[in-house]
Amino acid sequence: MELRIEGLSKTYPNGVRALDNVTLEVPQGMFGLLGPNGAGKSTLMRTLATLQEPDTGSAHLGDIDILTEKDRLRETLGYLPQEFGLYPKVRAVDLLDHFAILKGITNKKERKQVVDALLEQTNLTDARKRKLGGFSGGMRQRFGIAVALLGDPKLIIVDEPTAGLDPEERVRFLNLLSELGENSVVILSTHIVDDVSELCSRMAVISRGQILRKGDPAEAINDLRGKIWKKSIAKDEIDAYSDRLNVISTRLQAGSRVIHVQADNQPDDSFASVEPDLEDVYFTTMLGAGRSVDGEEAVQMVDSAS
Amino acid sequence: MSQFLSVFKFEVLYYARRISTYVYFGIFFGLSVLLMSAIGGAFDSVAVGFGGGGGNVAVNSPWALFGLVAALSLFGIIVTAALLGHSAQRDFETGSFPLFFTQPINKAAFLGGRFLGGLVTNAFVFLAIPLGVWFGALLPFLDAERLGPHLASSYLDPFINLVLPNMFFTGALFFGLALISRRMLPNYVGGAVLLIGYLISGQLVADMENEFVASLIDPFGGQAVTTLTKYWTVAEKNTLMIPVTGEYLYNRLLWIAVGFGIFALCYKIFSFSHIGPSLPFGKKKQTPVPDAPVRRRVTRVEIPHATRSFSGAAAVAQLSSMTQQAFRSVVRNVYFVAIVGAGLLFLGLSAPLVGELYGTSTFPVTYETLEVLEGSFSLFVLVLIAFYSGELVWEERDLKADQLYDSTPMKTWIPFVSKLIALSLTVGILLTVIMFAGLVSQAARGYFEFEIGLYIQTLFGLRWIDYILLCVIALLIHTLVNHKYMGHMLIIGLFVFTLFMGQLGMEHNLYRYGSDIGETYSDMNSFGPFLGPFFWFKAYWGSVAVLFAFVSSLFWVRGLEGGGRFRFRIAKLRMSPKLLGASALAIGLVMATGGFIFYNTNVLNEYRTSLQGEELQARYERDYKQFEGMPMPRIVAVDVEVDIYPEERDADLRGVLTMTNKTDGAIDSVHVNLSSTLDVQALDFGRSAQLVLNDEELAYRIYEFDEPFLPGDTTTLTFDLTRQVDGFGNSATLGVVSNGTFINSGLMPSLGYNANGELGNDNVRRKHGFEPRDRVAAVDDSVGLSNNYISSDADWIDFKALVSTVEDQIAIAPGYIQEEWVEDGRRYFRYEMDDPILNFYSFLSADWEVATDTWNDVDIAVYYHEGHEYNVQRMIDGVKKSLAYFSANWGEYQHQQVRILEFPRYASFAQSFPNTIPYSEAIGFIADVDPDDPDDIDYPFYVTAHEVAHQWWAHQVIGGRVQGSTVLSETMSQYSALMVMEKEYGEERMKSFLEYEMNSYLQGRSFEAKKELPLILNENQGYIHYRKGSVIMYALKDYIGEAAVNQALSDFLDETRYMGPPYPNSLMLLEHLRAATPDSLAYIIEDMFETITLYENRAVEATAEEQAEGSYLVELDLNLTKFRADSLGNESEIAINDLVDIAVFGEDEDGEETTLYLAKHWVTSGEQTIEIRVNGVPVQAGIDPRYKLVDRNKDDNVVDVTVGGEGS
Repeated sequence: MELRIEGLSKTYPNGVRALDNVTLEVPQGMFGLLGPNGAGKSTLMRTLATLQEPDTGSAHLGDIDILTEKDRLRETLGYLPQEFGLYPKVRAVDLLDHFAILKGITNKKERKQVVDALLEQTNLTDARKRKLGGFSGGMRQRFGIAVALLGDPKLIIVDEPTAGLDPEERVRFLNLLSELGENSVVILSTHIVDDVSELCSRMAVISRGQILRKGDPAEAINDLRGKIWKKSIAKDEIDAYSDRLNVISTRLQAGSRVIHVQADNQPDDSFASVEPDLEDVYFTTMLGAGRSVDGEEAVQMVDSAS
Repeated sequence: MSQFLSVFKFEVLYYARRISTYVYFGIFFGLSVLLMSAIGGAFDSVAVGFGGGGGNVAVNSPWALFGLVAALSLFGIIVTAALLGHSAQRDFETGSFPLFFTQPINKAAFLGGRFLGGLVTNAFVFLAIPLGVWFGALLPFLDAERLGPHLASSYLDPFINLVLPNMFFTGALFFGLALISRRMLPNYVGGAVLLIGYLISGQLVADMENEFVASLIDPFGGQAVTTLTKYWTVAEKNTLMIPVTGEYLYNRLLWIAVGFGIFALCYKIFSFSHIGPSLPFGKKKQTPVPDAPVRRRVTRVEIPHATRSFSGAAAVAQLSSMTQQAFRSVVRNVYFVAIVGAGLLFLGLSAPLVGELYGTSTFPVTYETLEVLEGSFSLFVLVLIAFYSGELVWEERDLKADQLYDSTPMKTWIPFVSKLIALSLTVGILLTVIMFAGLVSQAARGYFEFEIGLYIQTLFGLRWIDYILLCVIALLIHTLVNHKYMGHMLIIGLFVFTLFMGQLGMEHNLYRYGSDIGETYSDMNSFGPFLGPFFWFKAYWGSVAVLFAFVSSLFWVRGLEGGGRFRFRIAKLRMSPKLLGASALAIGLVMATGGFIFYNTNVLNEYRTSLQGEELQARYERDYKQFEGMPMPRIVAVDVEVDIYPEERDADLRGVLTMTNKTDGAIDSVHVNLSSTLDVQALDFGRSAQLVLNDEELAYRIYEFDEPFLPGDTTTLTFDLTRQVDGFGNSATLGVVSNGTFINSGLMPSLGYNANGELGNDNVRRKHGFEPRDRVAAVDDSVGLSNNYISSDADWIDFKALVSTVEDQIAIAPGYIQEEWVEDGRRYFRYEMDDPILNFYSFLSADWEVATDTWNDVDIAVYYHEGHEYNVQRMIDGVKKSLAYFSANWGEYQHQQVRILEFPRYASFAQSFPNTIPYSEAIGFIADVDPDDPDDIDYPFYVTAHEVAHQWWAHQVIGGRVQGSTVLSETMSQYSALMVMEKEYGEERMKSFLEYEMNSYLQGRSFEAKKELPLILNENQGYIHYRKGSVIMYALKDYIGEAAVNQALSDFLDETRYMGPPYPNSLMLLEHLRAATPDSLAYIIEDMFETITLYENRAVEATAEEQAEGSYLVELDLNLTKFRADSLGNESEIAINDLVDIAVFGEDEDGEETTLYLAKHWVTSGEQTIEIRVNGVPVQAGIDPRYKLVDRNKDDNVVDVTVGGEGS
């Protein structure tokens, strides 16, 4: 089963173009949608989750037309929203059971088995009889994924799941996610590059409603091998280097500034070659596609062979 | 200071930029304009009366405007709760409070600026009310006669004195609530409780004793003003501004102070902290749940595969689960408990009010208990439905769990239906609470005939269905209007609109959502003719509700698209063949049931709007008034056969009217009025006549005799009329019912143009192009005196009747029973009168129990419904005592029987026909008179005495069709009944009764629609001939003595007994009374009967000094004024030279009042002092303590005595 998105566009009433002719093919497995805040990720996620309407375009999961056959899609959808609340006074096991009914698991015995298993998988068994109002952020996220996983969904949409989790919660959550995706399409939408690099076999980069890049993370990284150089510099030297070279990122390492530069060849001796990572891919995509802080330039799609 | 200003400015600007502010303004403006112009007569089909100003109080008079502005501003409570709550709670709602609270701002500036900003905005919104009212009054299409001069002050005055202080108080309350609780829901609940509690406590405040306290405890000042203007005349209402004095001033000061107090309290409690003060209704942080430790290894858990179902059975399971969830979130909630608790409180307070009359209560029978409790609780239920429908529709979104739900495969109709069921179940719980409260209140009063079946039938069979229909529409509105506040306002607006729809000319129940023709329960007839129509109307509205449900589920917000464009698109997608089919079915049902109802109300029966009814009356006058006064034959005998069919609700009337030409000239045509509810099978004269006019709509016919009908000639009119009631009308047709039929001679043909068929109200007459008319002819008008005021086509007639009904009922007509037999399942009764009677009679039929007794040789019988024995003995007793007193004083009782007949409570009066007294179920049969309570008036006894008195005063002497004739019947009967009461219960007990009568008179004055008149000239004005009449006659008796009054009455009766044309008038009675009054007291005749005279008597101060042992000299300072009033209430002062009661009261060991001195003194105008010697400690002293004189302010007649030291 494959998710095909064709030409999805949406402009909000205030003129903001949330989605601009988005086209993607998403096979089974973990797919990472990477982009800055406000890029349109959540709009795309919500549209796929039948909660929003695009202006134009279409989307299909297998033979289900997502836009016109919402009921059919929901039968096989698992959605973890970016922000959601729960009933504070209800117990976890009771609410999960309730959602199980809503997802069509009507047989009581089967339902109990599924609920118990999901609670176990999300490590919430100990807390299952506690009221949801007392759950920490990480526990609520895990509960949310349990809800999403009810009923073997073939399309699982996870929107910014690790934002706001502490490192331990994040590890735990990613471990969970890594188990998914064997038989379903899983879209992970995030601005945290490491999430994608750790989990996803395919990805796309989206910014300002437009897909800038799509393909295999490993191949994208491979494309950059030998083209990324790093150097430690002083704070006031940044502008000088930015003028001269294609500085793709600046970060702090133990108090000093380290720049990454993209160049086909070593710019000079002070630069060391560095093994590229997905972050470099991300920054080069954002910059290389002509994006800068000020000014809009023509978009160039970077499409690695896949 | 600048901090304060900047917060204040920010707040005001914030609201200035919000559309909702202007929407609120617009709503109030529009409502005010609409209401004002409706009251001002702008809409022909609208008859909005307001506040009892009567016809002569200008609708833009200060008094009327005050009432209007006050009522409109009452609904502003909701706006204040929203606005001021928002000002306080906005930071918590948005989560921005951590930013604000960490700023270097002081509490006073922050809170003060927010509060004041909210108040200013609120004041702006409320300004729409006086502006709208003023605008509405200026509109050109108002009835100019109803308007007085436009004074800016009359529009602004209530705004400044009433609305603004009220707003301050409620603003502080709601600001504080939201601030401290950090939530909006307490404001909802608080606002609702306040509004409802206020409306309900209005009933409580009707209790006279608490007047001062009542004026103070009313936070909105309305009661204070009502008390202040209670006795204002029409003239005063038109000109005087409401003065801010007395209770009103104290009230304003008190509640402004309370407002300050609340604000100060909240100021103290509030702090810039993260967690608010812990309150039962505040936001509670739940204790955190400990998390399991991170697993080092990634364990793979095998999730079992479960079969999934998306079919109907799954839907049922999902519906069940969703409903349980929704129900729990409504009910397991401190707010719900609070609402129910408040409701119970009001139930508890209103339970004692079940069935009060004259301050005496009835037995708390189940239908009465239900009516009172369900009535006062219904507002709560409505509010609950309005608010919780919103809370339910928005629940998932408020919790931010909506995206989880919306992405499940649950069908879209399931959330809607589950919320509907949950809401309906909640209402069911409330109805159970009512039942429980009812049972408790009955048991608490020692009444154990619970009639559980009736509880269940009424609450769950009838009311629940009504409420469920409302739930549907409330949910629909919240679905379509995707905005919680607007939804609430719309729903409440809809409820209010439905209430007033009738007055806007939309009277047919097919328009008013959820309505039916109403029902009145009677012990005699159960729900009788009301159940059938109820079922049909509910089926109709139920089908409409199903359609609404379909629309709701099409437009149900699922997902994040709230905008119109997308919702239509989504709705189209949701439209499935199944839904279309079901909708078609529903539409079909609507048409079928609606059509059936229409067939019943408009085809089988007549439907007329009030306007159409008026137009019919107008046409009657326009077409036929020209024939008024034409000589007509006089009916001299009636021989009628009446067949009553209680089950079918039909009646046949057949018979012969014998008529004679008692005029001097020949009569060549006869005009016949028939009842338009009857079908004419035959109508023939005993001589040949041609039907020259047959106005079927007005049931008016003109026959011309072939040969002139000469003076002294006699002929007959034979008639055969049937009354067939098929189906049901838009309002119930009563009269003939399955048990408790009561029809009267109004159904019989009458002769000649009848001015009673004309429009009465002057404003209405003007609307239809008529001049105002005199209510009645002048007291000495010879044409008027040629007819009695009961019927103008007969004098005294011979009467016999044959009445038949079903076998198990008894049929009654005036007369002595000659024969009774059963034939073919029907029972026949032949009655005949041996003496002539007035042309006024009735027919009744019911399944009665009969209690009999005799007095001398008069047979007494009370026909009552089984189970209503409570006061039968009291009534029989009343008859005996009355017969004894009346025949001793005024001559023999002319009949040989007195029959009292119970009829259903569809009307509540008692009426006196010759030897027959129909008596409503509602006014005496279930009275619970406490013989030990001095304030409990035995009104079954009293009403019985009054009706028996009419056998003399109306059935022996009847006044002409002129002014003052009701004195001869009603006032005399009131007096007669008072005398019997006094003989039975003693003089002391009369006091509370007379006080009641006096108050009713004074209030009646201020509601006078045309003009007030002196007693002797009154034009059938109830507040005069009953209430003032009682007071006056009792006072007269006090002055000249009972024997003298009775002798005068007896002489009058001897002179006028059975007097035919010309009939007697009130002046003749007055002559006898005047003759019985000594010259020194001649002034009282003029004061009491011939003019409108009032006093303003005031006991200023009373001091006393002990003289010898136990003897005191009391000095009583008085200030006395006397007025004569004209018909509009304009008063001019006259001199006093009158004899008035002066009294001094003491106290016995039990604290009960004793009379130390009571005697009449001659008094003059103005200030004066009277010295009185008494034995015993004086406690109170005063003038006219028993209210024998009409005094505008009777509370200052008596003062406490200050006792000085040892005397001279």
